[in-house]
Amino acid sequence: MIVAACVIVMLPGASYYAQDREAIMSGANSHHWAGTDALGRDRGVRVAAAILLGLGGAAVAAAITTAIAAGVGALAAFSAPAVASILMLASDLFLSLPWLFLLMMVRSFLPLTTSPLHSAVVTFTILAALGWPACARAVYRGTLHLRSSEWMIQGRASGLRNTQLVRRHMLPHLLPLLIPQFLICVPAFIVAEANLGTLGLGIAEPLPSWGAMLLELDNSASLATSHWIYLPVVVLVLVLLLLESLTVEV
Amino acid sequence: MSVRFGLRQLTALMSIVFGLAAHGQGMAKGPGELAWAIRYDPTTFDPAKVDEQVSEELRFLTGGVLIRLNRRTQQPEPELAANWKVSPDGRTISFHLREGLRFSDGSALTSRDVAWSLRRVLDPATAAPVADELLAPREVKVEAPDALTVKMLLPRRVIGIENVFDEIAIEPAERPSEGKVTSGPFTVADYKRGQYVSLRRNPNYWRHDAAGVKLPYLTGIRLDVLNNREKEVSLFQRGEYDLIDSLPPDYFGLLQKKNPSAALDLGASLNTEEMWFNQAPNAPLPDYERAWFQNKAFRIAVSQAVHRADLARIAYGGHATPAYGSVSPANRAWHNDSLRVPHEDVAAAAQLLAKAGFRRNGSSLVDAGGHAVKFSIVTNAGNAARMKIATLIQQDLAAIGMQVTVVTLDFPALIDRLMHKQDYEACLLGLTNVEPDPNTQMNMWLSSSPNHQWNPSEKTPATPWEAQIDKLMQEQATTPLQRDRKLAFDQVQQIVADQQPFIYLVHPNTLYALSPKLAGVQPSVFRSGLIWNIVNVRRQGQK
Repeated sequence: MIVAACVIVMLPGASYYAQDREAIMSGANSHHWAGTDALGRDRGVRVAAAILLGLGGAAVAAAITTAIAAGVGALAAFSAPAVASILMLASDLFLSLPWLFLLMMVRSFLPLTTSPLHSAVVTFTILAALGWPACARAVYRGTLHLRSSEWMIQGRASGLRNTQLVRRHMLPHLLPLLIPQFLICVPAFIVAEANLGTLGLGIAEPLPSWGAMLLELDNSASLATSHWIYLPVVVLVLVLLLLESLTVEV
Repeated sequence: MSVRFGLRQLTALMSIVFGLAAHGQGMAKGPGELAWAIRYDPTTFDPAKVDEQVSEELRFLTGGVLIRLNRRTQQPEPELAANWKVSPDGRTISFHLREGLRFSDGSALTSRDVAWSLRRVLDPATAAPVADELLAPREVKVEAPDALTVKMLLPRRVIGIENVFDEIAIEPAERPSEGKVTSGPFTVADYKRGQYVSLRRNPNYWRHDAAGVKLPYLTGIRLDVLNNREKEVSLFQRGEYDLIDSLPPDYFGLLQKKNPSAALDLGASLNTEEMWFNQAPNAPLPDYERAWFQNKAFRIAVSQAVHRADLARIAYGGHATPAYGSVSPANRAWHNDSLRVPHEDVAAAAQLLAKAGFRRNGSSLVDAGGHAVKFSIVTNAGNAARMKIATLIQQDLAAIGMQVTVVTLDFPALIDRLMHKQDYEACLLGLTNVEPDPNTQMNMWLSSSPNHQWNPSEKTPATPWEAQIDKLMQEQATTPLQRDRKLAFDQVQQIVADQQPFIYLVHPNTLYALSPKLAGVQPSVFRSGLIWNIVNVRRQGQK
């Protein structure tokens, strides 16, 4: 799918922002295989670009989130109980924040000249910054469990320092926990970005985002024009389904 | 985070959801009853305190007035007053009432009620917005020499004084009833907040048709409070609603396809969509940016680079008219027919920029100081057509090397930036013109006004052309002769076209949906355009 998306975006003449003003909301034709949107932009290329942008952004954000979670979780597990409870309190606090409201505030504080690409980066960074606490709690529990396991006690008894212990013994054992966390985060972030997009926040025009494309479906008048308007939804569901099944496989 | 609902919460939630869905809409209608949607609850039922569109519509349907403005001809016509006379100096207007007028409760309507209603509007304690139109309401005197005569004495002439009386409802003296006892065609029968307003026919309304049948023909009107276009259109299609007084362009084609006579496009409305650059000297912008925005050549080049026909065709599905000046061609009385405007020409725009010291650096435009021309256009979130306009302009301006970002903000945040902080570069918004008369635009053109958007509340006019606009606007407001007023306002339009403080883009068309089962409706582009002659409207087949 990613390869197909890359090919579509790379094809000569493909542009996610070029407005073909003579072909507004057209159906499939020789120039635009999936028709055009309300501004005459090629829907196929936009969906393909949204796959790449959404997946790429969500994957990077998920990696950041998992890294933060691993750091916080491990730190909490290896420090004094007081520090651990403070860290867990912090993650509880993060969990209880009204994040949607926060995101809206942050977006309105951004300078107006923030370019579309920056807006995408900021959106995914915020998602990453807000996504770690749930994951951190799981890592904390897992690490605590590992810490009291017999081989760890043996490692400590043989004189290994905490950093060595973490690097040599903890991380390899934590990976089976971290990888699913990472995989769970990716689709969650894609959906979160789509939700933000439907509110008009998140990734700015003319960059394609799932949310803005789903917004087209909000209007019964445009639904009547072409069946290709459902393409973004179908592809989004397909992408999420694939990602979820990947999580199950692992 | 997981949210789990017990069965009980779920049923409670469902009943809330269905409870909301079931109210008002789809209630049975009597054969002589009409229904349509209003977008929010009226803020007041008191006709003297009307300050927004829904309560104005209610006043229109319930309030009896001395003079009614014919929305087709724009001429004042006698209503409760059989005739009226304005003295040559314009300072006295005397009304002669019709004989035998009665309120909806059967009591007689005399000059005493009229004088009381006029004085109530003039009283500062009422804070009636319409009083301002009389210029010095405190100094206005009202007299009732006999039962059928009322005189109003003004300290000075008011241009177009007749129009003011279209907005003053006559109520029973000492008994204001918030629309329950009226002298207009309908009375307020019932109101459920957030659900509906129900109006009943006034049995004592004075008018008869040619055959002597008492008007209005309709027995009642139900106005549902509904702020959901999707639902409004579907209820209209099911026949629950009889009209939609501002149809979004996306739905026009849908309705037209199903029933060509149900969708009406009356051509350009009085409204405009425009963009403007922030020229305020205290705006938190870099100096070089302010210099672009204050540069006439820069503004004209932007205006020349925008393809307005594309905006009308793509963003409005063809239901808009390209706009080049501040006054819509629909406003025949005031439109300057010989206006000279910057023509659309991308090459000329590029030349103009080159002459003004800008040059191309690859695909981007840079100013004489080497700063790349980049700016943002802010607009309000949630307006699909405006969002499309912004994205189209983004591409149009890319052709002359300007890099534009489009930012949508929620309305309060946008207003805060525009009005208080002046923290924006360019803005895209629409202006709703209710009345054709330029007097209603004074607050937009006078340089001292806080609504003088491109540079609000100037202490002294910042430029000679703004000073000239100030002078001409004052001139048209005080000259008694219509011809001189028109001459002054024509010049204002020309200065605006030359300087482009507002870059006008389109006039959205007036779009209505109207049930083909109604007879007698005379649609007009002016406000209350579908219901202005409601007394003559009837359902086909209704006796």
